[in-house]
Amino acid sequence: MNIKLTLVAGTALALLTALPVSAQSVEDFPAKPMTYIIPFNAGGESDVSARYQQSVWKEVTGQDVVIQYQPGAGGAQAWSQLNQIEGDGYTIMGINLPHTVLQPMEGSVGYVTDDLTPVHYFHYTPNAIFVQKDSEFKTLEDLVAYAKKNPGMVTFAGSGANSANNLGHAKFDDLAGITTTYVPFSGTGPSMTAVLGGQTTGGFNYATSGVNVGEDLKMLAVASDERLPAFPDVPTFKELGYDMAGGAYRGVAVPDSTPEELRKRISDIVQQINENPTFKKKMESGGFVLTDITYDKMGAFMKKMKAEYAAGAKALNIGDN
Amino acid sequence: MELFGYFLDALSPFNLMLALGGVVLGTVIGALPGLSAAMAVAVLVPFTFTMAPAAGLIALGAIYTGAIYGGAFAAILVNTPGTPSSIATTFDGYPMARRGDGGLAITLATIASVVGGLVGAISLLLLAPPLAKVALAFGPSEYFWLAVFGLTLISALSVGNTLKGLIGACLGLLMSMVGVAVVGGDVRYTLGSQIFLGGIDYIAALIGLYCVPVIIDLVATRDPHLKVAGGTDGIRFREALDICWRQKLNVARSSVIGTVIGILPGAGGSIAGLVSYSEARRASPRAAHFGKGEPDGVIATEAANNATVGGGFIPTLVLGIPGTPPDAIILGALLVQGIKIGPTLFSSEGHIVYTFIYGLLIATILMLPAGLLIGRYAYKSVIAFPKSLLVPTVAFLTVIGSFAVHSNVQDTQVMLGVGIIAWFINRYGFSPSPIVLGLVLGSIAEQGFVQTYLIGNATGNLFGMFFGRPLSIAIIAAALITLLYPFLADYRARKRGAAAMTEVATSATSRAGALDDTHPLPESGPALARGHDWGAVALAAVFLLLAGLAFWGAQGMSAMGSVFPKTISLLLAVLSIALIVLGLMGRNRPVPTETTAGPVSNIRRAALVAIFTVWAWLLPVVGFIVTSFVAFLAMAVVGEHNRVPVRTWLVRGLVAIATVAVFWWLMADVLLLRMPRGMLM
Repeated sequence: MNIKLTLVAGTALALLTALPVSAQSVEDFPAKPMTYIIPFNAGGESDVSARYQQSVWKEVTGQDVVIQYQPGAGGAQAWSQLNQIEGDGYTIMGINLPHTVLQPMEGSVGYVTDDLTPVHYFHYTPNAIFVQKDSEFKTLEDLVAYAKKNPGMVTFAGSGANSANNLGHAKFDDLAGITTTYVPFSGTGPSMTAVLGGQTTGGFNYATSGVNVGEDLKMLAVASDERLPAFPDVPTFKELGYDMAGGAYRGVAVPDSTPEELRKRISDIVQQINENPTFKKKMESGGFVLTDITYDKMGAFMKKMKAEYAAGAKALNIGDN
Repeated sequence: MELFGYFLDALSPFNLMLALGGVVLGTVIGALPGLSAAMAVAVLVPFTFTMAPAAGLIALGAIYTGAIYGGAFAAILVNTPGTPSSIATTFDGYPMARRGDGGLAITLATIASVVGGLVGAISLLLLAPPLAKVALAFGPSEYFWLAVFGLTLISALSVGNTLKGLIGACLGLLMSMVGVAVVGGDVRYTLGSQIFLGGIDYIAALIGLYCVPVIIDLVATRDPHLKVAGGTDGIRFREALDICWRQKLNVARSSVIGTVIGILPGAGGSIAGLVSYSEARRASPRAAHFGKGEPDGVIATEAANNATVGGGFIPTLVLGIPGTPPDAIILGALLVQGIKIGPTLFSSEGHIVYTFIYGLLIATILMLPAGLLIGRYAYKSVIAFPKSLLVPTVAFLTVIGSFAVHSNVQDTQVMLGVGIIAWFINRYGFSPSPIVLGLVLGSIAEQGFVQTYLIGNATGNLFGMFFGRPLSIAIIAAALITLLYPFLADYRARKRGAAAMTEVATSATSRAGALDDTHPLPESGPALARGHDWGAVALAAVFLLLAGLAFWGAQGMSAMGSVFPKTISLLLAVLSIALIVLGLMGRNRPVPTETTAGPVSNIRRAALVAIFTVWAWLLPVVGFIVTSFVAFLAMAVVGEHNRVPVRTWLVRGLVAIATVAVFWWLMADVLLLRMPRGMLM
């Protein structure tokens, strides 16, 4: 009896002391500044959204975060090295969709999609169609009607080939039953310049670009589920009868050696930042759409996105050669 | 009156301190090849979160303008552009330094940079909204022709050697296509290796092409790196001021070109420098001396590249479209601060924008004293450094610079490989500048071409898209003039019975023509004789093979992705065949053998290359600090031609430790780069 009691008590005590130890170390995380690698050049959407996070990071975690850049090969350079980083949770990396699904399909890029461990996808920048302020096209229907009569004549400037813009454009052409020409530029800046300057009929860009450019451009439709707080007057594609929503998703990934509890903890941190009112307000007024795809929802989300991008890749003939 | 109030705001002691500190930090970072303005600006962004927006912007702007200027130091003193903006500064700055006018070149660069910077910033202050429209007038076809215009400079850079220059440009263009293509999305010429997936980074390649050959030749002889003319090792401020005053037209033209090109998103300081250089050369009566140490070339480039700073802010602040990478970062910082960019910014946030612009103006003026001081110190230390310290220091800088671009050791290895090849082919008359032009302008030309083609094809107006737009026609005309001008000038000179420009340029012995002799003339060299040039013929055969492989490699690519590779490889093949045919006929101009005072040691060269190679490959395995320290000492030994007492070696050991430690700190703790630690450290 006594022995049994002692055993039980002992076990309970051991459990009590053991549990808090591991819980404590995760609870204490982070105990020093973290490093956040952005696999792109500074100044893009990935950088800006990370900077927004950085501005409230200390408020949420009690520690600073340092942003470093490791650009190259559209992000592939950094992602292919992600798993070589120590998995202590202190180094995290920005991760993007559709990039990390499409790149491995295009050829050998040093990683495959499932090598990477995203722990939270915290926002996306929805695709949107832009035209010049005084364009003859007042609504999306005007543009579609014109495109139907003049196959191939409508040109859209977008950021990069095989990008979210390119996928969105292919899907829209398919849904609307039209043929338009996608003209890839080397980034959001140059492609918005082309739209502003009237070099192309319009632009297939991210809604976020519309915030900077202001009233010189007109947004005809945005690929989000609901209208954006920053653009209450712009209809969604869904409202107009085209079942498409999406754009480029951005999240946070960790090396695959990172223990399960830390993955959850980092996912929680990102989620808490997402719930921070200041952060939320800044992001939404910038045209970003916050998403709460936490670590526990990641499996289902990735499965869904991979299927969607596989269909898109087929439309763009990616992975044929 | 309101504007004057903003001016007083900008003059607060805190803002002045930020401007001065920013300029000094920027100049130092810009002077180190590979450490870029964008990097410095990105690092400081978090600090500006806690400052008032205008103060933060002043700090960022000051660093940016300082860095663009600082690039001139490395260009003049070690023939390596510290930032891509100063590529054209090497053309004349380094020859000037070689013959003992390094101090003068630095002072000229400083004055020109300040004037150019002021023109850019004043345009931003007074003319921003109307000038922003310029950015919008440039479409894909204009970018394409602008890149072509930049490429026509090759004809000027390789007078008497045009065929080799064109081949070099094709090589550079092919290099620019490596990696994932922006248009078409093809993965091109990566040889299945991840190293090349991100392309050949052009900053790393730039360092390799320009700097590695200098290092290899530095160890070969006892000759000092730079000559010092008697008593002229100072900064020669009065003299420089006189030259700039005489060149006021050049300064003004280059500043305006720089401002306008700065406004174009995606063009940037390198193109601004190249275009104004070629314009200065075309307009100068001393055109034949460009590329051989002509002060006007330095002035043109430096005035233009600093003018791009103010110019670049115009689309950034007015349209919300960043003109250059540092602008993009500053734009991001503004967004995080909650400032809405766009046409209304100047009225709604006037206190921030105007305080910032005045801050930028003040920072630009502060560049004059700060730059002259730093320049004087940098010049003196490069002269005073013994070779056995100069060689490892410069080599160390190339390793750091190429690594820093992407925090990637593979870039360092590419840098070294490209550099060794550059040294080798340079001996047979293939100089690095055309290769660099091809590399830098290649992607702009290709994207512009394919975009124009796509738009033209879609709208059924292909010819009109390429040749029918007024701006395009103007740029094409300018390109044609640059291309044909040397021939035209030759023709006119022959008619007058004077020495033709090509002859002057290749021999530089004759001082005929109405050349004013007030500033120092280039060194004279022996005239090139015609004859068999077997080395170049053999190289041309290699290039022909390369062209074949490149063409064959383009077979599997998409239509969009293969147009350019196929065209360029065909062109390379044709040019190589032409060189081979001319060579077999004995109609080439072989490169004269090197003229040095002392004996040339190829053993030292080989040893240096070996150390360099081992260093670059062991860096990630063993670690940055250990390999760098060992390599530093080893190169010091190779670079030393005399017997030196043990005590001197001890001192050099300490210098090695200090250099490695300081740069480790700068990179790991200040610039927050990811450093390779390897097994040791």
